[in-house]
Amino acid sequence: MKIGIPKGLLYYKYHVFLETYFKEIGAEIVVSPDTNKEILDLGVKYCVDEACLPIKIFHGHVAKIKDEVDIILIPRVMQLKEKEYICPKFCGLPEMVFNSIPNMPKAITNPIYANNNTKLYKWAIDAGKYITDDINLIFNSFNRALIKQSAHKTGIRNENFEINIALSGHPYNIYENFTNMNIVEKLNKSGVGVITEEYLSDDLKNINVKKLYKKPFWTFLRENYGFTTYEALEKKVDGIIYLSSFACGIDSVVTELIKDEIGDFPFLILKIDEQTGEAGLDTRIEAFVDMLERRQENESDIPSHG
Amino acid sequence: MKVTFPHMGNIYLAAKALFDGLEVEYVIPPYNSKSALEIGSLHSPEEMCLPFKLMMGNYIQALNQGADTIIIVGSCGPCRFGEYAELQMKLLNKAGFHADFIAIDAPSDIGIKELFRRLNILTKNSSKNKFEKIQVLYDAIKIMNLIDEIEELAHKYTGYERNKGTCKTILNNCKAEAIKCNNPKEMIQLLKSYKAKLNHIAIDINKDPLKIAIIGEIYTVIEPFTNLYIEEKLMDYEVSTKRSLSPSWWVKNTALVPLKINSLDIRKASKRYLPLYIGGHARECIGEAVMALEDGFDGAIQIFPMGCMPEIVSKSILPTISKDHDFPIMSLVVDEMTSEAGFVTRIEAFVDLIERRRENELSRH
Ligand code: SF4
Ligand code: SF4
Repeated sequence: MKIGIPKGLLYYKYHVFLETYFKEIGAEIVVSPDTNKEILDLGVKYCVDEACLPIKIFHGHVAKIKDEVDIILIPRVMQLKEKEYICPKFCGLPEMVFNSIPNMPKAITNPIYANNNTKLYKWAIDAGKYITDDINLIFNSFNRALIKQSAHKTGIRNENFEINIALSGHPYNIYENFTNMNIVEKLNKSGVGVITEEYLSDDLKNINVKKLYKKPFWTFLRENYGFTTYEALEKKVDGIIYLSSFACGIDSVVTELIKDEIGDFPFLILKIDEQTGEAGLDTRIEAFVDMLERRQENESDIPSHG
Repeated sequence: MKVTFPHMGNIYLAAKALFDGLEVEYVIPPYNSKSALEIGSLHSPEEMCLPFKLMMGNYIQALNQGADTIIIVGSCGPCRFGEYAELQMKLLNKAGFHADFIAIDAPSDIGIKELFRRLNILTKNSSKNKFEKIQVLYDAIKIMNLIDEIEELAHKYTGYERNKGTCKTILNNCKAEAIKCNNPKEMIQLLKSYKAKLNHIAIDINKDPLKIAIIGEIYTVIEPFTNLYIEEKLMDYEVSTKRSLSPSWWVKNTALVPLKINSLDIRKASKRYLPLYIGGHARECIGEAVMALEDGFDGAIQIFPMGCMPEIVSKSILPTISKDHDFPIMSLVVDEMTSEAGFVTRIEAFVDLIERRRENELSRH
């Protein structure tokens, strides 16, 4: 049985788990290619206009491989952490896809509650049933997939750079080089090192999160707010770049809360949508890096002892 | 202490009665308007959703009129609304407005004790005793329910009235009079009399008016300024409308959520198209579309603010419902830029469309 896995949205975070699991239970896996112009165009064609770019791209990945597979995985991620939520579009993703793309194959759309392993295992059973009846195989494959996923370190931490920035935003914006136009490589080339949220422990992230009046209910808000404000206030980096999706409701809140907390610490928000041009993006990155360089020079001019 | 609160439809009437009854000083913010929106947008992040900006406008206009304490409504489901309070408090502080905040959250989030503690701040200056306070609260809820019922009746009967404009006039007079009442009991009496009036207008039961369901994001369907007074416009066209989302629906639904017996009809109707709650009121939107077609409505209009996450999901589902059942559904996206002219044209075109469908159907029989 051929199962299609679209390379969009949270694929970037959980692909090891998904691929291992389905391979081990005996499915043949078809992963869509890296995002490209064709996939983007397909996404724009099928998806509702009002949706954000990552959702459109996901539609493109589905459309690209749907005819080659027997069944397709549309992860309906409902929750990642206890008492925290994620974007409504993840929860309604299968409906969006099914009502927008014609002639869909069968699909695995069972809700994923990744906040605890028992619930996740239940998903594995439901999803695995399409492929095999062997419950022992499912159980063992599930465990192996979990182990592999936790051994797989995601995230970026460049070393030995003079200037460093914290790169923040949804994983699909950070790791998908087609939409972010190879931002990490670009920064590295201009002598800027990058660190991402995965390299900061939850305890340190929670320091500033605890100061909020309300406990954040988005996992994404807690992680990225906690990460960027810690890096900024502790002066671990020289600046922050936030990759934001145009018209993303979550980003609009997160960036505002970060701004409020870090004061005049260098903070660049790059908004990406299907119209974003590479030249414009480059100019903004260059200007930001220039500014960081100047700041560093100025700082080293100030004698440390009065 | 001078309390204020954000607008949302007719909720200000219940709030007024509540504070009158408690003898707590308050400021009702000026009704939503272009200037409220302008002020609100000025102090809001550009990409925030419309309700956020209008609420900011309400707060600031009320503060300028002497309010010093803001009742801020907190979380209701996994959507941006849950983060409104945090951000609004920060933005107001940053803009130099000094106010105390009383954030009302669902008890499931902060605990019932904390909720009562917060509510107590509100009533501590009240000279009323505990029993009287509860009575006042009860009256306020009654007022909220009554005005919702009155609106519902007016929107429904408007298609059957013998004298064009009767319902609209009664509804508008009712609101204008209600705001002049100085205590809850008086307001309840008045509302009751208007409800009776509506139930006794001259109607023509042989009429078979066009019927449209208003569905979508809760704030923009309830708050008439955001939808350019769509319900009033449809009244002018003698179209009967129905909107299930209202403040009283919200209160009832929220109270029943912990028991999992809220909105059973909506859940059932939405099951085929959206089997889960995804945040906001997307599932209600889908359920109401299905219920409208089952109840013999001629069409549905979905309204939501630009960038509204859950309603974008609904918007991708609605065309399928429309196709499956040959049921016209139109989606209207509203934001600061919505032009009245374009909006009216689309509404008129939609009414035309369903009218013609009716005629075709009749001529086929
Ligand atoms: S979190 Fe933002 S970018 Fe991601 S799917 Fe939701 S709206 Fe789009
Ligand atoms: S439901 Fe829509 S309008 Fe309401 S908070 Fe969410 S995004 Fe904003």
